[in-house]
Amino acid sequence: MSKIGNIPVNAQAGKKRTNPLAGVFDELVQFCQSRSMFMLHYCTGCGAIELPPAMTSRFDMERLGIQPMVTPRQADILLVTGYVSVKTLKRVILTYEQMQSPKYVIGICSCTVNGGMYWQSYATAKVLNEYLPVDVYIAGCMPRPEAVIEGMRRLMRNIEEGKGHAWKDYFQRYDYYLGNQQHLFGDDWQTPTDIIGEARHYGLETEQTYGEHTRILEQHQQPLEPHKMRIKF
Amino acid sequence: MNCEEINLWLDTLLAEIEEIEVTRKSERRVRVDVPASSLPALLELLKGKASYVHLSAISCVDWPDDEEFELVYHCWSYEAKSLLSAHTRIPRNSAQEFAHYVSVYDIYKPAAFFERDIYEMYGIYFESSPYMEKFILTEWNGPPPMRKDFDAEQYVNDTFNWADYHPQWLQELEEDGGGIAVRPEDIRL
Repeated sequence: MSKIGNIPVNAQAGKKRTNPLAGVFDELVQFCQSRSMFMLHYCTGCGAIELPPAMTSRFDMERLGIQPMVTPRQADILLVTGYVSVKTLKRVILTYEQMQSPKYVIGICSCTVNGGMYWQSYATAKVLNEYLPVDVYIAGCMPRPEAVIEGMRRLMRNIEEGKGHAWKDYFQRYDYYLGNQQHLFGDDWQTPTDIIGEARHYGLETEQTYGEHTRILEQHQQPLEPHKMRIKF
Repeated sequence: MNCEEINLWLDTLLAEIEEIEVTRKSERRVRVDVPASSLPALLELLKGKASYVHLSAISCVDWPDDEEFELVYHCWSYEAKSLLSAHTRIPRNSAQEFAHYVSVYDIYKPAAFFERDIYEMYGIYFESSPYMEKFILTEWNGPPPMRKDFDAEQYVNDTFNWADYHPQWLQELEEDGGGIAVRPEDIRL
C-alpha cells in the first residue's frame, strides 16, 4: 500500500469536486458529527451548577446526543462555564490544545463574554475568544438549562450546516491567539503541544499562523522532555 | 476551672499588663490592642498560660490615611470557649517595597500559611517565616493587589480589552430614543 501513496484528485479551482457523491458524504459526516458530541466541561465558575440538571434526567442532554466525557483527548466540546482567572486560563488552553480536531468551544455565562460581574477584577481574563476560538457564547448569569441546551442546538446546527470552523481559526491565526496569551503569561509562555506542526498537518497554515509572537515563542521554546518516572517506597 | 473562671482570670491578668488595652466585647470575645513590639510576647503568654492554642486566622487591614497596616491575630481557646483578637498596627512603609514585621511561626505553626498569604496580598514581609514564596497568585507580577493604593480598575483597563457588543435590537431601541441610560464604558471611565 505504501508504494501507491496518495491518489491525486484533480479538481479545477473554484469548481466543485467531480465526484457527485462527495458532497453527500460530507453532509452525512457533518450530520453524524453533530449528533454525537462528547463534552468536556471545564467548570471554572458558577455556571457549572446548571450543567447537572441539563445533563441528567430533567432536561436530558443525552437525547440530543451530547454526553459528558472525562478526558480532553476524547472530547469534542470544551465547555467553559464561568469566569476564567489568568491562572485557570493557562490550564484551559492546555486542555483545549490536547483535544483532537474538530473541536468546539462554548463559553457559558456573562463572565466569558466580557468579564461579567468580575470585570473589575485584576485576576480574571475578560474576553475568552481572544485566547481561544469560541464557537458559541451562551450569555446569562447564569443561563438556565434551557438556554444551555439552546446553545448546544445552535452549535449542532452550525456543524450540520458546515459552519463550525472556529477550531480552524486557531491554526490559521495562531499568531493572534499566541500574542494575547503572551500578553498575559509573559514571553516565555509555551505549551507542550506543537500547534504550528499541527497546522501544517491539517494543511491549515496561513500567513497569519506566523508572526512576531511565534518568533518570540521560537526564541524561548525549550525542547520537551518526557517526565521521569520515579517510584518511591 | 470552668470557663467563666478562666475568663475572669484572664481579664485580671491582662489588666495588669501595661501598654495594652483590653476590651471585652461579650462573654466570648475579647479585643486586645497591643503595640507591635509586644505582640509576640502576648501570644506566647496566651498560648502557654491561657489555653489559647488555636490561631484561627491572621487578618490584615490597610489604613493608607494613617500610613499603617493593622494586623489582627484571632486566637481560640477551647477551655475558655472564647475568641481573642489581638490588634496591632505596623508602619506601612510606602516608600519602600515592603513593610516588615516578625513572624509568629515559632509560637503558632499555622501562622506560616496566613503570613505567606498576607505577604502576597499586602506585601508585608514576615521575618523568619518559613515560606515566603508565591502562594495563590503564581501568575502575578504586579504590586500586592489588596493594598488600597492598587487601582484594580485602572489595571484592568490597561491590561484587558473589552468585547464590543452593540446588537441590532439595541440599535433599534436607540433609534426610537431609548437605549441604555448609562453605558457600561461610561461607568468604567
